[in-house]
Amino acid sequence: MSMPIAECALRLLEEEHPIDDYKGRVPRWCTGCGDNAILAAVQRLCRDEQLAPEKTVFVSGIGCSSRFPHYMNTYGFHGLHGRAMPVAQGIKMRRPDLHVFVVTGDGDCCSIGTAHWIHALRYNMNMTVLMHDNGIYGLTKNQASPTSPQGLKSKTTPSGTLLEPINPVSVSLGIRNASFVAQAVDWIPDMLYDIIEAAFHHKGFSFVRILQRCPEFLPGRFDEWVKDPSRMLLLNHDDGVKVRPELGKVYQNLEQHDPSDRNRAREIASTYHPMPVGVLYRNQEMPCYEDLRKPDRLYTPDVIKSVLEKEFDQFTIHPAA
Amino acid sequence: MNQIHSPMSTFHFTGQISGGDLFEIGRRGFQPALLSGYGDLSKLRYDFPLVLFKEGNGAPCIRSLCDVVSEILNESAPTGMEGERLRKSALRLEEAVRVLVRDGNKGSLSELWQQAESNLLSQNGGDGTPKLDEEILKTIRDALPENGEVIDYDEDTPEKVMSHAWNTVQEEKARKFSLRLDELTLKLMNILKGDSMKSATAFDPDALKSAVGSSYESAFDFNSMSDILGTAFVPGALPEKRWRRIQSVLSTLKAQKFFPSMSGKNGKKRRENTQTYIFDHCAPAMEAFRLRLPKMVSLVKAMTIAQLEIESRYREATHDPFFRNYDERYLEADDLAMLPAYLICLRNSTDAKAEKADLIEVLSSGLPIKVLAQNDDIVEQLSIASGKLSFGVRGSQLASMALGLNDVFILQASGADLYRMHQSILNGLTHRGPALFSVYSGQSGKRTRTAKNTPEKPLYLRAAAATDSRACPVFVYDPGAGDDWESRFLVDGNPQPERDWPVYEFGYEDKDMQRFSEMIAFTFVDFVAMDDRYGKRFAGVPRSEWNDLMVPASTFMELDDTTAAGKVPYILMIDENNDLHRVIVEARLIQAARGCQEMWQNLRELGGIDNSYARKALAAEKENREAQPEQIAALSDDVETDVESVSEEFTAPSSDEPYIETPRCTTCEECVEINNKMFLYDDNKQAYIADLNAGTYKQLVQAAESCQVAIIHPGKPINPNEPNLKELMARAESFN
Repeated sequence: MSMPIAECALRLLEEEHPIDDYKGRVPRWCTGCGDNAILAAVQRLCRDEQLAPEKTVFVSGIGCSSRFPHYMNTYGFHGLHGRAMPVAQGIKMRRPDLHVFVVTGDGDCCSIGTAHWIHALRYNMNMTVLMHDNGIYGLTKNQASPTSPQGLKSKTTPSGTLLEPINPVSVSLGIRNASFVAQAVDWIPDMLYDIIEAAFHHKGFSFVRILQRCPEFLPGRFDEWVKDPSRMLLLNHDDGVKVRPELGKVYQNLEQHDPSDRNRAREIASTYHPMPVGVLYRNQEMPCYEDLRKPDRLYTPDVIKSVLEKEFDQFTIHPAA
Repeated sequence: MNQIHSPMSTFHFTGQISGGDLFEIGRRGFQPALLSGYGDLSKLRYDFPLVLFKEGNGAPCIRSLCDVVSEILNESAPTGMEGERLRKSALRLEEAVRVLVRDGNKGSLSELWQQAESNLLSQNGGDGTPKLDEEILKTIRDALPENGEVIDYDEDTPEKVMSHAWNTVQEEKARKFSLRLDELTLKLMNILKGDSMKSATAFDPDALKSAVGSSYESAFDFNSMSDILGTAFVPGALPEKRWRRIQSVLSTLKAQKFFPSMSGKNGKKRRENTQTYIFDHCAPAMEAFRLRLPKMVSLVKAMTIAQLEIESRYREATHDPFFRNYDERYLEADDLAMLPAYLICLRNSTDAKAEKADLIEVLSSGLPIKVLAQNDDIVEQLSIASGKLSFGVRGSQLASMALGLNDVFILQASGADLYRMHQSILNGLTHRGPALFSVYSGQSGKRTRTAKNTPEKPLYLRAAAATDSRACPVFVYDPGAGDDWESRFLVDGNPQPERDWPVYEFGYEDKDMQRFSEMIAFTFVDFVAMDDRYGKRFAGVPRSEWNDLMVPASTFMELDDTTAAGKVPYILMIDENNDLHRVIVEARLIQAARGCQEMWQNLRELGGIDNSYARKALAAEKENREAQPEQIAALSDDVETDVESVSEEFTAPSSDEPYIETPRCTTCEECVEINNKMFLYDDNKQAYIADLNAGTYKQLVQAAESCQVAIIHPGKPINPNEPNLKELMARAESFN
């Protein structure tokens, strides 16, 4: 229901939130860490969308990226390893009026939290998921993660990892109910911002994998792409993200990709050379679980009482003989 | 020249039968030939009777009987021969229901169905038809939807359909409103309840006792408990002013009379205290709206305050003055749209000047007032020019006039189109502004004296003929459907909209029983020919006098004056014996038909069919493309120049000057760690050089080296006395 004049008048009366309103504690990430770029983009988004801090919640699991809620001056839930998504789903279910963001990492999401991630994609609840993917466990000082490059030597893999890394974007696209899948990189801030903005505006579960540099434990991991713009592939479309003209000059490798084309999205997702950046898949028709489960009546005390009584009426308790 | 004085030409120009064997058609029960197949409508599966469903739970609220039956057959009848008996029985019953309704029986679908069943069973097999099987009848009966009222087509149908659709829309609106109201009330009560839980009364021994319940009350000492809890300090009690404000909002919400409250016990509706929203004139509707306005204002205000209180966003310093001055000026269309819409059912009353003025006021008000303007006559003699026919004065002009008001939803249709257009009716009723439904009932020309031995043609046929003959073309103007005419204005509800007159195949046999068929147009002239009042404008021509100078009226209207000279327009009609006749038409009627044709052409253009602007633009574009390919070459040169000028805007500063490519900064903290006075973050948290004098050239070079995305360009040093400049400049070179 809308109350336009009243609402407009009241909005005018309200304060405008500058970016500082969204800054929480001082980040303790290493200097040079890509997480900083993601934090800056998210704070910009909150400012530009004028999200009420008390109506916004950031939920995270465990890991470097999962320190995110501490650095936002909004509600936050720094939860259990791999369990950010079920917590966020619970919040969205009970409080659909809140803007729910999930911040997770490659270890948190693709290792211990994989089951939750897959099912969260399936449930398609309206939230924005930012998956920081630096390909390493940084908080615990250098252990291989599911997205670490093959052959990476780390404390847990002294002879190098044996397996190919998982591709989180391809996995997401494999879930029938996925409704928004995108890939961003921390070193193209404008594109990062535009993708997060598109994810935020999408109604449904918006999964954004953000490739992010870890200068401490995996320096140079993305150098070949950071230093050579021609190795990047920017996806351009009116229904996804429109590449800004100034970016188009530096990153000349552009593809018109219609995000409704899931098969092409799968092809694009499967390559790193060039590295695709943009919205790979988007389906606005996919129903959200919270809408499917929306009660058609209000649970007033009277209703709750009558439902309970109806339920209790099915039982007869005989006093012990 | 002789031909002009022939009896046919004389009749065409003067309307007088003077000699020859021409005869009047008035009393012979003549009908346009294309209507020959529609003698008994109860044998046909068509849009009527309608079934009006209540509380459809998302199912359509208006359905035709034959759609209801077809759906049952689709769902319940097995495919192939197996389901054949079920299909046949259901269709026989459907026809029986149609006959019952035609004969004036009324009732719900299940009642009429049962009556039809018992009628058919009583003559089971007696009339040579296969016997009906009880088991099959039960299957069909069980599949019938409930609660549907069956109505046939008559002059009251438009009003019945409209009121039914209005009720359906209002019920949905009431359901949503009630849910919203209950939600606000519940949340406000929770605020008050929370406050009361912190008050002294909550710690009263009796209150504590009732909270624990009877099972374990002996285990507690409530007096001691009350003493202990009473001493505890509970912060955050509601200020008195806020408490009173919430109470006042709650009482306003509770006292609303716009919708029946649904929050009664067991969710049953309480119907008391609701107001009337259906009127038969504009003035009382406007008066009622005016009287209810203050209540609407206070309700919307209360709902707004409630929302703010629930979200804890009410700030007395700013909101108190705002709400003190809150009056009807603040009511917007969306606010009004959440409250019930008004329905005014006008019948032939728009010719009264006062009513017309009121109607214009209503339609231009922007208020959610829906008007059904039912016209029973669209072909009339003009009062100021005797003998001249005017058509569509009441209907079309009203609807066309409303088009100018821009925000009014408009539907023009005949009663026969109501079922086809029922989704548009619902759209109009849910449209947030006013809506005008101009409906022709088919009543005009209803026979006062029934021609000898010929049954009255059903009203439905006349209404349907009005649409077919373009006398009452269907159009929808939906301001909510988009921003341009292409999405707002639709004429595709008309038969064969690309033609001036729809054309149908007509089959007949000659006197030697040879079958012929030809395509004939159904024109405005045919529509008027159904009207007994204008019988004298037609004259039958005996077959012996048929000649080549007789031209079908639709063809005649396309002829220019020179070609038409000497020719006489005719239409094909049948008499009560189903014999085919050529009937010639008076010139003034052809003139009126041309007027009707032009009106339809204009409407069609608005609807984007055969649009003259589009035609011109297309021709110009075609000419353009064929003309000069070199223009295209020149155009691409321009584009290249533009691109160059754009790229110049992004040229980097000279390499002497230090700078940061701020838009590419990833906020990685490296530079600000080195010197947080020289490097600062802008509003987007991206770095720029704020003060070169706040640091050394060395720091600038270090920052450039540590920048993860290499966007810091140190340029040349500004202080020539800084130590190790030579080495630093060498290191900086790769970043400039």
